[in-house]
Amino acid sequence: MAEAKLRSVSFPRYAEYNCSFKYIIEQALGCRYVMPPALTKRTMELGTKYSPDFVCTPFKTMLGSMIEALEAGADTLFMTHGLCRLGYYGELLEQILRDLGYQFDFINLSDYDMSKKKEYIRIVRRFNPKVNYARFLLQFMEGLKMAEYVDDVTAEYYRNCGFDASGGQCRRAYQDFLTAMYTARNRADVEAGYRAAKGALGAVPLDKPQRPLRVGIVGEFYTAMDAFSNLELEQKLADMRVEVHRWMNVTNQFLRYGSGQKNLRVKVRDLSEYDMGPTSTANIWYARECAERGFDGIVHVKSAGCTPEIDVMPVLQNISADYKVPVLYLTYDAQTSDVGLMTRLEAFYDMIEMRKKVL
Amino acid sequence: MEHAYLGIDVGSISTKGVIIDKKNNILASRYIWTQGDPIGAVKELVRLLEGEFDKEKYKIVATGATGSARKLVGVITGATMVKNEITAHAVGTTTFYPDVRTILEIGGQDSKIILVENGVAVDYAMNTLCAAGTGAFLSSQAKRLGIEVEEIGGYALRSTHPTPIAARCTVFAESDLVHKIQMGHPREDIIAGVCNAVAANYLNNVGKGKKIVSPVVFQGGVSKNEGVVAAFERTLGCKVIVDPNGHLMGALGVAILARRGSGRREFDFAMEDMEFRTREAGCGGCSNNCEIICVYRGKELIDSWGNRCERGAQAR
Repeated sequence: MAEAKLRSVSFPRYAEYNCSFKYIIEQALGCRYVMPPALTKRTMELGTKYSPDFVCTPFKTMLGSMIEALEAGADTLFMTHGLCRLGYYGELLEQILRDLGYQFDFINLSDYDMSKKKEYIRIVRRFNPKVNYARFLLQFMEGLKMAEYVDDVTAEYYRNCGFDASGGQCRRAYQDFLTAMYTARNRADVEAGYRAAKGALGAVPLDKPQRPLRVGIVGEFYTAMDAFSNLELEQKLADMRVEVHRWMNVTNQFLRYGSGQKNLRVKVRDLSEYDMGPTSTANIWYARECAERGFDGIVHVKSAGCTPEIDVMPVLQNISADYKVPVLYLTYDAQTSDVGLMTRLEAFYDMIEMRKKVL
Repeated sequence: MEHAYLGIDVGSISTKGVIIDKKNNILASRYIWTQGDPIGAVKELVRLLEGEFDKEKYKIVATGATGSARKLVGVITGATMVKNEITAHAVGTTTFYPDVRTILEIGGQDSKIILVENGVAVDYAMNTLCAAGTGAFLSSQAKRLGIEVEEIGGYALRSTHPTPIAARCTVFAESDLVHKIQMGHPREDIIAGVCNAVAANYLNNVGKGKKIVSPVVFQGGVSKNEGVVAAFERTLGCKVIVDPNGHLMGALGVAILARRGSGRREFDFAMEDMEFRTREAGCGGCSNNCEIICVYRGKELIDSWGNRCERGAQAR
């Protein structure tokens, strides 16, 4: 019965990837997409209010964003599976929302066996039974391509925006790019938006020293990437005239990781023998990569109570001692004041800047 | 007239101010309680410093502000240098102790460790979400035991068998402490136990994974407590240096930074009589509803902050 009309699907706000979800839901699956409102204090208040206290912060953020999506008219929520507690979050989110009295259909990837190809067809059919598979596959790949472009442009933006000599051209180019992605309806739009952004970012006059300060960001998958959740950590660092590098993103973790994962694990075997969660191997590998490439500092980001990332910290301490690279450990909870974060970041900046002059 | 430099450090519990000359000699210094009113404390501080300071011979050409209220204080004093307290402490300490390797600092609500190599800070850590094991814990326990916080050190040193107290978390430590008091442990031993707990908590939380190398300098308000100093010396197995001006180190550091900085603006002692007022305004531009703090001198708006986007800047 519900299948007869078009579904209004939503997925919680997550960094800048919602444009890609939107593209896949609308173009590839032929449903409507309900864009959840941008994350705000209200999202966090809603999420914190209905969440178990000791659950990690991304759960609270996602719950708040889901409630706001339901308020905005979504009738179907989509939730991913995961390799840490995230795998159980879908079930828990659904239960909490049902207890609150919301009516919706919940598509939870944890309910499916993701190792079987047949299961993917079942998922697609649940979204829209009339889907044309050939077209779906093509447009699904275009949606992924968009995520790749988002990662590519975002990385370039945070590398350079601190050195923008034009006073805001860099930021405008990035904003224009995001607008283009959020409104793209076909492949030509995506490609044009990407090309325009690369051109605009490339044309920004940069006032970058020969050896700029470089900081690598590692950490938990949600908090390290989502600017609202980490209180705009990357922008704050960049504004201090720092080159900000982050390997962790959807492209590197999922789209290009496949064959590389095994190699990464081999590469860090001397530091940690076992995989300790969804992102630990990659984080350890990238932290050492930063150290070996002579970065001035590493920032480790996690939400309070993220067990896999707590396990990563002792390894980072070893890397810090071996390569003499300072690591700043940041723990985020549902707080929205950035005063304490600013104190730590300013001190971190002062320290790496003074070190650079001496060493 | 010779040049002098003012440094003000407004922390959660205490407000510190120093005036130094070109050679970092202290011309005037004061340490007072903030009592939840940073503006009032700074005005009082400036008034006290003015009394000690030779205005005929010196003039203050640069002012630095640090501590958790640095932004607010920087605005109302017209500071030429506003720096975070970690950098200020590192700069102050390395100026007076050029060969220091480790700086331990425990303040009213935060604690930090700074590792130094060749006179430059190379690594630091600061307590994150929890204020366990800081000065606030010591003063609340002193109150519970009915003594002044300044007396804790003397009591602790008289103890021969310090009571073991759970050091993991302030809340647990407190209930453990209450149990031990009710069991009949002598007061000296309890207090020595509290001091040990502060040192243990610090080394387990802030100092975790950091290599503590001598010479070690200990500062911040808690460094005035001989009991905690003794606990650190015992645990670390090395001498812990406590500077007589250790409680002023943040203010000294930021005064030195103001001296080194390029900004110059003569300090006006008249600010102690001016009226400063802050007002909190909800932005209302979106559901984030940023709390914008507006600072007024008399009726004039001199600065505002707290907005996360441009919309808040217009809403002033």
